[in-house]
Amino acid sequence: MSRVFTIALNTFKETIRDRILGVIVLFALAMIVGSVWLGAISLGQAGRMMQDFGLVAVTLFGLVVAVFVGASLVRKEIDKRTVFVLFSKPLGRSEFIVGKFLGLCATLFVVTMGMGVFLFLAVWYVGKSPAPDLLLACLLIYVQLVVVVAVTVLFSTVTSPTLASVLGVCVFIAGQLSSNVLSLTRLGHSPLVKAASWVVFVAVPNLSAVDIKAAVVGEQVSRPAALGLWVGYLAAYCVVVLLLASFVFKRKEF
Amino acid sequence: MSVLEWEVPMVATELPQALTIRDLRKVVTTGFWARRVEILRGVDLTVAEGEVFGLLGPNGAGKTTTLKIVLGLMRPTSGTVGLTLPREQIGYLPENPYFYDYLTGEEFLRFSGRLFELPAEVREARVRDLLNEVGLQEAAGVHLRKYSKGMLQRIGIAQALVNDPSLVLLDEPMTGLDPIGRVEVKSIIEGLRRRGKTVLFNSHILADVAELCTRIAIMKAGVVMWEGPVETALAQSGDLERFFVQQVTA
Repeated sequence: MSRVFTIALNTFKETIRDRILGVIVLFALAMIVGSVWLGAISLGQAGRMMQDFGLVAVTLFGLVVAVFVGASLVRKEIDKRTVFVLFSKPLGRSEFIVGKFLGLCATLFVVTMGMGVFLFLAVWYVGKSPAPDLLLACLLIYVQLVVVVAVTVLFSTVTSPTLASVLGVCVFIAGQLSSNVLSLTRLGHSPLVKAASWVVFVAVPNLSAVDIKAAVVGEQVSRPAALGLWVGYLAAYCVVVLLLASFVFKRKEF
Repeated sequence: MSVLEWEVPMVATELPQALTIRDLRKVVTTGFWARRVEILRGVDLTVAEGEVFGLLGPNGAGKTTTLKIVLGLMRPTSGTVGLTLPREQIGYLPENPYFYDYLTGEEFLRFSGRLFELPAEVREARVRDLLNEVGLQEAAGVHLRKYSKGMLQRIGIAQALVNDPSLVLLDEPMTGLDPIGRVEVKSIIEGLRRRGKTVLFNSHILADVAELCTRIAIMKAGVVMWEGPVETALAQSGDLERFFVQQVTA
């Protein structure tokens, strides 16, 4: 376990010290500040507009970090041949994969929650009252992004960083729609279509189940039900994906 | 009886073996048509405990592949690798090493020590001693991206020794070093030999090999052409360079 922590800590240092991360976060903060202007031109909806726009900014920039950093994490170690040094030591391939994942999750937590706190303070600064669940919404955005990191790490063990990034974004988008897939199948009658839809529903993480952005900004009356259960489901999904990534990575030669 | 047939049993009976490689083969497929390329074609090698062993050969002979298989970075197609030591007792320096450039030299050695799960006080003492040994104590707090090639080679050697290994595998340890750096690395290898460590290294600098090694093996196109004591090679041809050329052009 201490070796997993060592790799995680090193990955956290690597990503936090990366200048690209700083640029992405600056852009995100600029967008949140920009939402003050958007609030000013809306008719009596300044607070709601700011929070709506801000949460989208947190999601988008968090996704950029999760996908682009996640896709290059493993590949960079192979391309720069640091894996030679790592795996000549008593470090297991699974320990490496899990450590890399946890390290990026730690960075992502700092980035997502940092942006969330900044948004909260920005709303409060312009004299509006932030929604009580604003920070919870950011935490649940983080949960969704953790799943995207796991999936991107898996893709990066089998394909190039560019393709892994694209696939990571695709899974995020599909994850927002996966519950709709199931609803649509109820309208059809073909057993084949129904079976295929079930496969898609099981294979694609249901990220929309933990999305409370609409409820927070008042576009939706109630929060999605059983949030804790859905978070547990996504955690289990991550475990399965990481097991798969470890299995693939164990077969790799350098 | 060839020299190889005579030398291997001698080592096997007189000294305990740190590493035994038997009939090691590696086939890879390359290109769109999955063309099969045989990188190793039955490598036999024995490295005894406490000796400094030089693995020589022209580029593409299979030296690095052999080391990678020993370390588990690649899987053999067939053949066996017998290691008497656990992974915790092995140190490795790859060829043209690249390390995490966002870490300082000291942080990188600490990171390496943590992967061996060394207790904190042992780790700190090792890091301090190794930085002194490789002459990088003043650059300990400098990020690796600012290190010269020679400094990277030295920090690479330090990370290979962080666990105080019994078997040290060095892939081209003299590459990129200036004459002073070479003297320092040779002195480190000498020190390891004096402390009874087993060292296996690849090098193209035959003068260093003649100076440091007790035995050598010469590889060509995936097979060991010759294995034996350096003295035998020197006695046959006068100098190692001539002997090497004779073996690889035979």
